[in-house]
Amino acid sequence: MTVSRPHSQFPWLKTRVRPWVDGWNRVGRQTKFYGRTLGSIHYAFTNYRVELIRLIAQMGLGAGALIIIGGTVAIVGFLTVTTGALVAVQGYTDFSEIGVEALTGFASAFFNVRLIAPATTAVALSATIGAGATAQLGAMRINEEIDALEVMGIRSVAYLATTRVVAGLLVVIPLYCIGVLAAFWAARFGTTVLYGQSTGVYDHYFRTFLNPTDLIWSFLQCVVLAVVIMLVHTYYGFTARGGPAGVGEAVGRAVRMSLIIAAFVLVMMSLAIYGQSGNFNLAG
Amino acid sequence: MVSSHTLAENAAKPIRAAGGFFAMALDVFVLMFRPPFAWREFLQQSWFVARVSILPTLMLTIPYTVLLTFTFNILLTEFGAADFSGTGAALGTVRQIGPIVTVLVVAGAGATAMCADLGARTIREELDALRVMGVNPIQALVVPRVLAATLVSLALSASVILVGLAGAYFFTVYIQNVSPGAFASGLTLIIGATDVTIALLKAALFGLSAGLIACYKGITVRGGPAGVGNAVNETVVFTFMALFAINVVATAVAVKVTM
Repeated sequence: MTVSRPHSQFPWLKTRVRPWVDGWNRVGRQTKFYGRTLGSIHYAFTNYRVELIRLIAQMGLGAGALIIIGGTVAIVGFLTVTTGALVAVQGYTDFSEIGVEALTGFASAFFNVRLIAPATTAVALSATIGAGATAQLGAMRINEEIDALEVMGIRSVAYLATTRVVAGLLVVIPLYCIGVLAAFWAARFGTTVLYGQSTGVYDHYFRTFLNPTDLIWSFLQCVVLAVVIMLVHTYYGFTARGGPAGVGEAVGRAVRMSLIIAAFVLVMMSLAIYGQSGNFNLAG
Repeated sequence: MVSSHTLAENAAKPIRAAGGFFAMALDVFVLMFRPPFAWREFLQQSWFVARVSILPTLMLTIPYTVLLTFTFNILLTEFGAADFSGTGAALGTVRQIGPIVTVLVVAGAGATAMCADLGARTIREELDALRVMGVNPIQALVVPRVLAATLVSLALSASVILVGLAGAYFFTVYIQNVSPGAFASGLTLIIGATDVTIALLKAALFGLSAGLIACYKGITVRGGPAGVGNAVNETVVFTFMALFAINVVATAVAVKVTM
């Protein structure tokens, strides 16, 4: 049986243009959601304080099966330890090829702060609290709990999205400290204990090249990345649809999108902060 | 009484999950060589994983390469050795950025999509239906997926290296004003065929482990929408942890081998 459809005007043009218009509208909806989320920070702070504290506790420790392996703190620590160890493994061998393995401490102070700590923390945030938020909000959307909230007169964006963004912003502060310390520790341990460099040499070059201003910038990068990642993840969770399978797909899409956006934000901020000259002096 | 019982249950859960994972991995390795091989599913899954990963690959490689080249060239300019920026770019792309971006893409894009797809099938009881029809879901669904993840991960690693080198070339030559000839001649100074082979081997390992974790999480999904969401979340976390650890160990081994 053939289904007859009413004749539409300019069908060729419509099929070509429709995807672009949809994409454009999606960008608009996303921006509007982000605006509303950030705009109701004050409202969330004054009205939903209990929910905020509950979320901070939950994000710090992790939820579900993640709590068994030590929660978000352990995951961030583990990931930064592995990337810090990479500095020891690669930096030490590459530097010793040209005979300057003494500079491994410098590599730890320079690359850990400028590249590795912000990038790894961003990845860890997106994987743990970000993906967790998408999964929770997506399940709430599918179970029509968000609609129920709105019927009860609760501002769903402020109650669910803003509180999560603010909680992510607060949780990233200790997480970044743990991450950067773990990276430093792993690089030092690998170089001095496993490769047998003397701790005096390592510490001398590490202390000489550790720039406190860089550390503060790197910390600020992490805070901005946390906000961006939580915004992307809450949006995808908030707009999940299509049953149980849809929640899984939303989590996947959110992780993909937040990794990409985090990479771009990181590069733009690095170029803006360190500038063309690099704001760096080897000769002192 | 009841509380101590549930405590024991909870304590046993991760051990049981680890056991289940290794049992499934063994099943996969045994069934991989036993006919019939699900060719059609293998091709479809390869296409599926490649399709979801290609855009993130490009979008992640370019910024990270720019960031690395930028940071590295600051150093080289400081040493007065900007002519060696090609060496730095090759070193960074093949040894560092290549594997790391492959990890991010395989775990963040490939594994999540795979787990979401398989989890949806488990929720719709398609796996039980297969078992009733006498088809082993491990052989029909998991083996082709794991192999597809491995193959696509290899291909992605190669494209990450290519895109990274091209991006580094444009950034170094047109923005940081290094002469193109110096860039090209510096490329192969430290990095050779061995390093590229090691990068590809690492990528294959990443794909294999990510595929296994995603499939295990996908076929053990239960509990409705929240269950699927949590399964994908756990897939991301576990694959990131596994792949970062594998990366460090594989790099240390590769360094020992090439020295």
